[in-house]
Amino acid sequence: MHLAYLDAGSGSLIVQAVVGGVAGAAVAAKLYWRRLTARYRRQRTDRS
Amino acid sequence: MTIPHTDVRTDPGSFRDPANRVFYADGEVLRGLDARAARDWRALSASDFFPPLLAAGKVCGTEAVEPARFAAVAGAQWAAVLRHERIPFVSHPYEWSFGMLRDAALLHLEILRAALTAGFTTKDGSAYNLQWRGVEPVFIDVGSFEPARDGEPWAGYRQFCQTMLYPLLLTAHLGVDFQPWLRAQVDGIPPEQMRRLFTGVRRLLPGVPTHVHLHSAMQQRNADAASGEVREQLRGAGFSRELALAAVRRIERLVRRLRPRHVRSHWADYQRTCSYSAADRAAKERFVELALTAAGPPRLVLDLGANDGRYARLAARYAGYVVAVEQDPAVVDELYAALRADEQRRVLPLVLDLADPSPGGGWRGVERAAFATRGRADLVLALAVVHHLAIGRNVPLAQVVDQLADACLPGGRLVVEFVHPEDPMARRLLANKPAGLFPDYRPDEFARLLAARCRVERRVELPGGTRTLYQAVVGG
Repeated sequence: MHLAYLDAGSGSLIVQAVVGGVAGAAVAAKLYWRRLTARYRRQRTDRS
Repeated sequence: MTIPHTDVRTDPGSFRDPANRVFYADGEVLRGLDARAARDWRALSASDFFPPLLAAGKVCGTEAVEPARFAAVAGAQWAAVLRHERIPFVSHPYEWSFGMLRDAALLHLEILRAALTAGFTTKDGSAYNLQWRGVEPVFIDVGSFEPARDGEPWAGYRQFCQTMLYPLLLTAHLGVDFQPWLRAQVDGIPPEQMRRLFTGVRRLLPGVPTHVHLHSAMQQRNADAASGEVREQLRGAGFSRELALAAVRRIERLVRRLRPRHVRSHWADYQRTCSYSAADRAAKERFVELALTAAGPPRLVLDLGANDGRYARLAARYAGYVVAVEQDPAVVDELYAALRADEQRRVLPLVLDLADPSPGGGWRGVERAAFATRGRADLVLALAVVHHLAIGRNVPLAQVVDQLADACLPGGRLVVEFVHPEDPMARRLLANKPAGLFPDYRPDEFARLLAARCRVERRVELPGGTRTLYQAVVGG
């Protein structure tokens, strides 16, 4: 994975999606949705 | 063959990106690149977008030089070495006016947009990526360009917010001068500080909901998430180059709309309300003009206390470059706008308080050089400024003379105006201080102190009888 010399800041990266307008906000929403479902899936595998 | 260099100095402000380093060798400005940065440079110079920016002067003049000449310079082995044009006088964002910071920000965004369109990006987004050629902003950080990876947001966005957008929002929305905030924090203003300034209805001001509040909240929520992981998540969620471009365009639109809300100090009206007669002014202009032509064209003129820039413009007719220093950000902003309108390319206006000039900043106090260390002038204009320092700020008269003389190169000229204590402007300042506080503030004492430091060449009393002008050679 390539990382720049400058720590771009995780939150700062996500905000840029929202700054990009409606399509960008959809990307941010998808990112959060995926995080949520990933957590749910993890919980289910933990239980089973 | 490696030629030994006698005078090599690494720029103390260029260490942050280890892939390249700026250094000075024998009067040249050079940039060493490691193998990867050298690859990026080759791609950059072969790109469609970079050569036009270079030709338009938007990026500082840059050419590759034979690396073997500098192979072992500045304690490292470089894969490639670039030579840059010399910026006439280095300045820092906390010395710029609102309009200057805004135009610098717009140039940075324009360059980023051109880069993104061509498949490149900039690694950072700092206000320190920019310098000035007169009133033209110039992008100097050529080492910042690299090929963009698809689906990745701009790594420099946070830095851009902290060093450019937030300072602009402070002045545009709150009427607060941004200069002290930038001077105190080399990395700019963090989102969580900004958030506390924009509460209540101020949350809704243009740019504030997303760039300040959402930004701050996102940073807190994602404090434990590694930025590499977040990049992958964004790419997976469909972040694209078009989105990165859309974000840049929106920031550009926001920045372009911002206007300063300055609190005008009374010095903004100084030129209109001051006590000069037309005869005084004409005599003063003649005196200054003669001083400017006394010994060939001066390379650098420092106009200390430039106000509306009348004498800085006069100096620009004869000098290579003029740095016009003024304390009031609103006055500097007006001067900047006027100089741009007149296409006056050789005057750099700067916000600076002579009784509190920019100190060294950043790492060990040397990353951003102090004003006094950034170069002395062939000619210093100190017109109607001595009384502000000596009476207004209580600086002992001898030390005022030392400060002005030290701003000149050895053998350089000092053109200084002494405003007598009975002059209306001096009386106005004296009225705020206890009587008898400045027994040394007299024309004869000033003349004695000046003669002790310099060789006085000319002296003229203005027709009004309350101001004396001197032309003196420092250390001559």
